Amino acid sequence: MDLCISKLRKYYHNKRILDVDYLNIKKEKITGIIGDNGVGKSTLLNIISGLDKKYQGVVSYDGKKLDREIYKNMTLVFQRPRLFKRSVYENIEYPLKLRKVNKIKRKKIIEKIIKRLKISDIKDNKGHLLSGGESQKVALARAIVFKPKLLLLDEPTSNIDDKSTKLIESEILRYKEKENATVIIITHNKKQAERICDEIITIDNGKVVL
Amino acid sequence: MDYILKGFIEALKLLVTLDKEVYKIIFLSLFISSISTIIASLISIPLGVFLGIKEFKYKSIFSRVLFTLMSTPSVIVGLVIAILLSRRGPFGFLQLLYTPTAMIIAQTLLVFPLCMGLTYNLSKNRGKKIDNVGLTLGANLFERIFLIIRELKLDLIINIVTTFSRAISEVGAVMIVGGNIKNHTRVITTSIAMFNSMGDYKKAIALGLVLLLISFTVNSVVYSYNQED
Repeated sequence: MDLCISKLRKYYHNKRILDVDYLNIKKEKITGIIGDNGVGKSTLLNIISGLDKKYQGVVSYDGKKLDREIYKNMTLVFQRPRLFKRSVYENIEYPLKLRKVNKIKRKKIIEKIIKRLKISDIKDNKGHLLSGGESQKVALARAIVFKPKLLLLDEPTSNIDDKSTKLIESEILRYKEKENATVIIITHNKKQAERICDEIITIDNGKVVL
Repeated sequence: MDYILKGFIEALKLLVTLDKEVYKIIFLSLFISSISTIIASLISIPLGVFLGIKEFKYKSIFSRVLFTLMSTPSVIVGLVIAILLSRRGPFGFLQLLYTPTAMIIAQTLLVFPLCMGLTYNLSKNRGKKIDNVGLTLGANLFERIFLIIRELKLDLIINIVTTFSRAISEVGAVMIVGGNIKNHTRVITTSIAMFNSMGDYKKAIALGLVLLLISFTVNSVVYSYNQED
């Protein structure tokens, strides 16, 4: 079963900003959402992630309406990630602590992910003081560390250098393959969407243009 | 001018020679204000954070009422508590009027809206983003409130200091419910008012200096913590 959206309407100050009759996002695939600024891409992601619940319509995953259990298995990386005022290591550790993973196991998982994303040298630095590229990598690490089945990414490589972009892209691809995760990624970069996405959806003026 | 200078010298003497009466007043003040601040903060901070991030009907009206309560005159709070605790009042049987406990109750109620209002405003402006991150990482409501408190720790400490400053510097409520009884309910502010009316400037100045010193110390601690952060 996929992520299904039907008859989705979202209003803001009486203005319809999202109007999606039907949208099917395939499970275990990477779906790219592209479109100009302010067309409703982030709003759609906020609705799927459960951050925005003031909408009309139905959003379901695996045939079930989104509920707490699904949300627990889903995460969203924001365009401007907010890292906590604690070390990079502790930032990544946070979702594992919430899930009561024991300390030894936590350390093992975090060390692996830190190594893969090449952030070992900054693991003791304070999260909120990192540069844009470093923040994006740490935010991605924090998001995938607990292995969510649904990974939502809002422009995860905006304003970062090519090297970091490549690293993040390869990690997204690796994660999807290894965990059989469903990934939805918002991007402005059409080439990036073509590089890593299995499907591409274009949103224009709040409507899906396939 | 001479009497002011003399007052200062005598005040310093009282402090250096550890004058029993003066120090008793200082410790009671610190005790009552600290306990009221702790009680008010423990309840109002989590509640303020929760209400700040929560969307609910009539939130703007709630904000206005809360901000109004933040500046409630202390004599009004003192009067209400005194009526409630007076012998004929509904809680008269507790026999708390003119005790340090009554003073703690009055000060807690006085500073509660202040601490809650400051926290609520902070959480409303800066807590939502943290709440969203917590939510997307799978945190439940309690975990998210704790996360926001931890992330806004420094600002909340400043709120607590502001609350403490209001508590230790207020005179109306503690005067009404405490009665300014020597060796029992006499605190710095009520003493200053009394010594001033008696013309005993050296004690009034000594206690005034202590009040300033407490304020300076507390704010210095917060400032150095702020620099470290």
